[in-house]
Amino acid sequence: MKNRSRSPSARATARRRSPAPPDRVQLRACCTLAEAGELKAALVALTPCAGPVTLAAGAVERIDTAALQVLAAFVRDRRLAGRSVHWDSPSTTLIAAARRLGLSTLLQLEGAGS
Amino acid sequence: MTVDLEQFHAAFYDESFEALATMETTLLQLDVGAPEPELINTIFRVAHSIKGGSATFGFTDIASFTHSLESLLDALRGGTMSVTAAVCDLLLRAVDVLRALLRARQAGQPIDAQRVADLQFDLEVALAGRSAAAPAQPVPARVAPAGARAPSQWQVRFRPHRKLFVHGNDPLRLVQALAAIAEVDAQLDAQNLPPLAALDPEDCHLAWTLSVRGPIDSAQIQQIFDWAEGDCELLLQSVPAEPAEPAEPVTPPVAVAVPAPPPASPAAPSPPAPLDTSAKTQAANGLADYGSIRVSVEKIDELMNSVGELVITQAMLTQLGAKIEGPQAEPLRVGLAQLERNMRELQESVMRVRMLPISFVFSRFPRMVHDLAQQLGKRIELKLTGEHTELDKTVLEKIGDPLVHLVRNCIDHGIELPAARIAAGKPPAGTVQLAACHRGGNIVVEVSDDGGGLDAARILRKARERGLIGPHDTPADAQILELIFRPGFSTAEQTTDLSGRGVGMDVVRRNVKELGGKIELASQAGRGARFTITLPLTLAIVDGQLVSVGTETYIVPLTSIVESLQLSAAQISRISAQGEVFACRGEYLPIIRLHSLFGVEPRARALHEGLVVVAEGDGRRVGLFVDDLLGQQQVVIKSLQTHYGHIEGVAGATILGDGAVALILDVPGLIRGASGRAAA
Repeated sequence: MKNRSRSPSARATARRRSPAPPDRVQLRACCTLAEAGELKAALVALTPCAGPVTLAAGAVERIDTAALQVLAAFVRDRRLAGRSVHWDSPSTTLIAAARRLGLSTLLQLEGAGS
Repeated sequence: MTVDLEQFHAAFYDESFEALATMETTLLQLDVGAPEPELINTIFRVAHSIKGGSATFGFTDIASFTHSLESLLDALRGGTMSVTAAVCDLLLRAVDVLRALLRARQAGQPIDAQRVADLQFDLEVALAGRSAAAPAQPVPARVAPAGARAPSQWQVRFRPHRKLFVHGNDPLRLVQALAAIAEVDAQLDAQNLPPLAALDPEDCHLAWTLSVRGPIDSAQIQQIFDWAEGDCELLLQSVPAEPAEPAEPVTPPVAVAVPAPPPASPAAPSPPAPLDTSAKTQAANGLADYGSIRVSVEKIDELMNSVGELVITQAMLTQLGAKIEGPQAEPLRVGLAQLERNMRELQESVMRVRMLPISFVFSRFPRMVHDLAQQLGKRIELKLTGEHTELDKTVLEKIGDPLVHLVRNCIDHGIELPAARIAAGKPPAGTVQLAACHRGGNIVVEVSDDGGGLDAARILRKARERGLIGPHDTPADAQILELIFRPGFSTAEQTTDLSGRGVGMDVVRRNVKELGGKIELASQAGRGARFTITLPLTLAIVDGQLVSVGTETYIVPLTSIVESLQLSAAQISRISAQGEVFACRGEYLPIIRLHSLFGVEPRARALHEGLVVVAEGDGRRVGLFVDDLLGQQQVVIKSLQTHYGHIEGVAGATILGDGAVALILDVPGLIRGASGRAAA
């Protein structure tokens, strides 16, 4: 999913009134155990967001199970809460890793990259 | 919080170097043309392990190189490529590059990227079948050769323990490793995955059931999961190829579960297979092989130190016990005698822990001989015997270089070229033999060859040319051979890369002497030469002569002592350049007054009132002037270097039975110090 429809100025205004929860997380090139805590914190910050949130994962070059587990918990929690998650250009590394571990369904990545 | 993977690096390097040594040895055993499949499998597994480990630690250069190597090995394993001499050579070079890569990583030094890239290219070209190293044929599609292992199917239940991640393991990497050798379909079990807010990112809450298909056996699967040993439960079941419904397993489940405690959270109820079968089955499979543990040398040294302290305490108690009188004296002495026996057994047991087989040193020679023989155009057969002979780790580490030098000398100077051997009525291939055995309280290592032997006439001529002996001296044959241990001696007609630079045999002898050993040489012209090295089993304990100087006691290692004598005034002279000397068996030896050296008030100042211990080191002899000889005993060496730095002339210290500290003298160091003072 690409940028939302609101203009930058509208978003700035909204931020001034009450800090709106972020709706997008940019995943780093390296998503491993060392970064998993930081990734969790970024995703927890998205939790209050009622609308769709975006995981921008085009830059992911290295990922391990620990990071995938954090993403899986986040996506599953969102789904159970009836809230949606969109992947923005997930990298082939991420898609391949998720497939290899049978996580594609839980991560809602089926069909991605095919 | 981040996980410091560096804590696992040392173990990775240790294991990788050991694995490379295995790979090298196995490569040298490969029979070109008709290789044993199991040998190729062994080599493949080594490469695979190193690749997995290096990928885990983010050593991408090593992982990438090993990947190319692994691909080529896979082609050899699958029979799509032949094992030729050129391929073996390529693989040996790959071992060298991998070793260099690991060493560079370990030392934090830059890698030789060009060398790595060149060889990686060669590996890839060979794999593509375009290199001279490989059969010039298009690489066929991978087809299982006749007789190859039939495809099989396995179900692997893999349930990581919570702390799997923080122990440096990654299920993704394990499954990828499995997928590299078989078809893998992973079914995820995320039942235990907590909500994100409650999730500790360092804990693993996922589990998998893996369907594995391919020409793979349980040992290969287990080997991949060896990395996670202790961090997971693993259940392997072979699955019949045809039935759609899961049937009774063909083989009993192979549980490679682990002694570590299970995760705190309740296990998922879903898996019907009995994961708790581990206790019953683990003894029957892979775990039974883990008969050893890796312990750091520091821990063993600490243990050794503690035992040394106990020995000293026991000696003190024995001395005290001897003085006690009364009805309790006898049972006390019986108890002390028992304590002494137990202490000796404990000391010997701990000493044995430090013992390693000499194969750790011998294992480098097959490759070295292979390479040198090629380089020199000689044919050489290497025979190793007594590889299981054990000796102390410190001795083992220090004997490697002298042995390398001797073997190189045998190959370079001893073994003749094939034509010369045939002309001499010998087989074209020469033999170099390395043998080790225990003899008495020592270990004896022999390096011998069936080459031309040492040419006494030539040695004599060279020694005269170099002024090592007088022009008219006519030493006996044994003395002539001894000349090669003199500094600067070499008979090589031309300097080669291997030897003949005039440094060598003197250094070998010095190194051996520093270990408290000796080296002897025997040679027969035209029949070969034999070097015999005799070494102490350990450097942690020394047989010492206790000497007194004033109120102090010093220990002179028995191996350094030639004789002890009382001088008469007529034997003593004073030479301006050397100070005090005394006549001893036809030569004048300098005298070192230990009381002056250590600033101790002696009981005897006049040389003829005390005793002189004639000691030898670095090929020179001196007289150590002492008050008296006390006795001989084994002493545990304690290093002073850690706390005081290196003290010339002092090898260490020990604590005597009465609690007094005694310095252990380093005779070569004393001699060097005395020479320095005389020169100044």
